[in-house]
Amino acid sequence: MIIFYTLLRREIKRFAKVVIQTVVSPIVSSALYLLVFGVSLGGSVQLNNGFAYLTFLIPGLMVMGLTNNAFQNSSSSIVTSKFSGDLEDLRVAPIPHYYIVWAMGLGGVFRGSLVAIITGLVGTAFHYAQLGKLIPIEHPFWMLYFFMIGGLTFAFIGIFVAFLARSFDQLSAFTAFVLLPLTYLGGVFISIQNLAPIWQTLSKFNPLFYLINGFRYSMLGQADVDLMTAVGVSLLAAVITFILANYSLAKGSFSRW
Amino acid sequence: MSTAALEVINLKKTYQDKVGDSVVEAVKGINFSIKAGTIFGLLGPNGAGKTTIIAAITTLEKPTSGDVLVFGNSVTEKPLLTKRQVGVVHQEVINTGYFSVAEILDFQSGYYGLFKNKERCEYLMHKLSLHEHREKKTRQLSGGMKRRLMIAKALVHSPKLLLLDEPTAGVDVGLRESLWNFVQELKKDGLSILLTTHYLEEAEQLCDQVAIIHKGQLLFNGHSTDVISQYTLKKFTIFLKNGEKKEFEEATKMGLNEVLVKHQIQLSEIQDIKIEEGKLEKAFAKMVAQ
Repeated sequence: MIIFYTLLRREIKRFAKVVIQTVVSPIVSSALYLLVFGVSLGGSVQLNNGFAYLTFLIPGLMVMGLTNNAFQNSSSSIVTSKFSGDLEDLRVAPIPHYYIVWAMGLGGVFRGSLVAIITGLVGTAFHYAQLGKLIPIEHPFWMLYFFMIGGLTFAFIGIFVAFLARSFDQLSAFTAFVLLPLTYLGGVFISIQNLAPIWQTLSKFNPLFYLINGFRYSMLGQADVDLMTAVGVSLLAAVITFILANYSLAKGSFSRW
Repeated sequence: MSTAALEVINLKKTYQDKVGDSVVEAVKGINFSIKAGTIFGLLGPNGAGKTTIIAAITTLEKPTSGDVLVFGNSVTEKPLLTKRQVGVVHQEVINTGYFSVAEILDFQSGYYGLFKNKERCEYLMHKLSLHEHREKKTRQLSGGMKRRLMIAKALVHSPKLLLLDEPTAGVDVGLRESLWNFVQELKKDGLSILLTTHYLEEAEQLCDQVAIIHKGQLLFNGHSTDVISQYTLKKFTIFLKNGEKKEFEEATKMGLNEVLVKHQIQLSEIQDIKIEEGKLEKAFAKMVAQ
């Protein structure tokens, strides 16, 4: 337990040491999204579900902050450790692999949740200023569930990719060609109902779509998929990515770049 | 039950060449063992396979075949147990950018399941002259301090076997001497030590036993004096009273009396004598060249 606690403490201390880069910067970008899309352009966007676009956008941005930062936290922790060489310390110490996976996973949940919560608070301020009311939280339990499961899933993906990556380019390629399209086509900014049928079908294969909509349901009480489907798919994604993360530790390299 | 601190048994490691499709044999079936409480020098030129052997002991690399036993336990079968008994100082300096010296030692203790290890960390920081730099991050440390930090990290959990992979590479003379004194102290405390170094003179003085490897093969395993006597000659320079100087190179085991008899020199003719023993460095160079 001490080993696990140490690993988790290290993860949290690491991102706390570079708070501008890890927390403040994502919040600034979320605030800009809110300002440009939610406030400026939001008035011209019509949704079928009766919500103002800003109300619709805030949960999506929160999940984007959660998943991006969970991924960044675990992947950058591993990549910087590969550069510095201290990943070798984890290999030569008597640490079971699943301790590393869980500690980095929870480190991702902490950072991701922190960014998501602050994004939510900034969003609430915009919401109150624009619409004169606070954004609702209809199902707090499910909100916590999606925080946890979304953060873990993307932190596990970060571990998997960073351990198997042989260069920084490979990691960047994954972010650009996989993570970014999944995020943007997962329903952060738009409802699936606004998409052409082909994109609607494709979105149903995107695990992030279920995560975003599950989270949106927990806040607004409405989403493009029903709650239990979102819960089931996101849980399955977490289990699969956990297995992949453990696999990457067994097969990937702890050696320095 | 084995009493050896370390047994390397028919260890082989092959890699796929990164450039071509050929297979590189880094270690070609090496055997050696280290008696508990002794210092063992693993010597060889660059690329001989020393670091690969250390990587196999620490499980950084999986052996292609063969095994490594730490105090009788296989590193592949019981890695969590053997890892607790081993401390390692890697050849390349670790540059953890985020944390201070004190934090790094605290985390390192935690990796070995030690929660309240402050006393040991303080002791090591004092012993290795790191205490006044405890709040500095690694990038603020000099090369020598980074080396000392790596040694402190390797010792936080009080291992029984210490692996030092060229710990004095790029370190100045003064620090090298203090590090070797510290290594001697560790030996007195009962620690078993595997050391790789390019400073063969120091290996000769420090090590109870040496192994010389070249291109992944073991060339010699034994006491350094054995390899010296096998591969080098003792140089006798005799200054005579008549101003003449005579130089002879003879087998290391040969004594002065035998040399004088062999070359028919009377004691009464001699003004001064200089004897130069063979060096491990020379023996090493000769062995590798062969």
